[in-house]
Amino acid sequence: MAKAFKYGLKGITGYLEPAERDLLRGLLDDVISMLESDARENEDPLAALIGLDMDVKQPSDRALLRLLPNVMKDDDGGSLEFRQLTERSVRENKIGALKATAMGLDKDDLVLTPEDAIHWSMALNDVRLVLAERLDIRDEADAEHIHSMQDWSQAEDVESYLALVYNFTTWLQESLVQSMMAARQAKS
Amino acid sequence: MTPSVAFGTDIDERTEAVEQTSTDVLTAPDIPWNLVIWNDPVNLMSYVSYVFQSYFGYSESKAHKLMMEVHRKGRSIVAHGSKEQVEQHAVAMHGFGLWATVEKAASGNEAPGKGGRQRG
Repeated sequence: MAKAFKYGLKGITGYLEPAERDLLRGLLDDVISMLESDARENEDPLAALIGLDMDVKQPSDRALLRLLPNVMKDDDGGSLEFRQLTERSVRENKIGALKATAMGLDKDDLVLTPEDAIHWSMALNDVRLVLAERLDIRDEADAEHIHSMQDWSQAEDVESYLALVYNFTTWLQESLVQSMMAARQAKS
Repeated sequence: MTPSVAFGTDIDERTEAVEQTSTDVLTAPDIPWNLVIWNDPVNLMSYVSYVFQSYFGYSESKAHKLMMEVHRKGRSIVAHGSKEQVEQHAVAMHGFGLWATVEKAASGNEAPGKGGRQRG
């Protein structure tokens, strides 16, 4: 069984079984491929170099739209312009955190530096956002319903399995954030 | 937001008064844009509070207060600045997975904290 992250003398430490590591790695890879999927091949190299992306569109996939939301509520034009200027760097930033976390899973011991911890918390958050879209979590009541499923013997179909996976990543992220808070308090 | 397991007891008792919202850390009276964080049922309350502390440098109590405002009212103005400043914050918030938008401070929205001149 996984152990919750905790903050101690060695910093932030945790423990995951091999099967749990595989599961997480798969989730991280899924989100990485979502974020990488519409990378364009024949784009203007100069525009790419300075991070511009004039062909970018608002994502049609809800989960991707949640990861890369519009920056203005009622201004699609303004939001699109913002995407052209910034979406590439947001994607790259996220992919960087997800990949760093996946690499961290290859180490024997989960001992996180402060930087690792930030990457892990961002990566787990993005994984949860994507799972939540797949699970159709739209409001707090949906979230509570999903959260009530804690027993792996309940995993009878894809949805219940996803719900349990979601709850596992929620638990893991919560323990990580509590550890990060503890680390922060210890420093100050 | 998703309540944190270890989230504490002291849910603040403040009233819903319009005056008691928002923040003035990055405020200058003539700066017209707000950074808004929206509630969602996924992000952990602890994580949102942590991001407010670590990214904006807000105190624990201030971060908690803003997080609770997002949770209870559906949104909170967490920073002010020029358009460029708040857009930069929005990029960072999207990086963290928070649902952030920017808006003109004087856009006439009915949200609490309109004007954003209150003590934070």
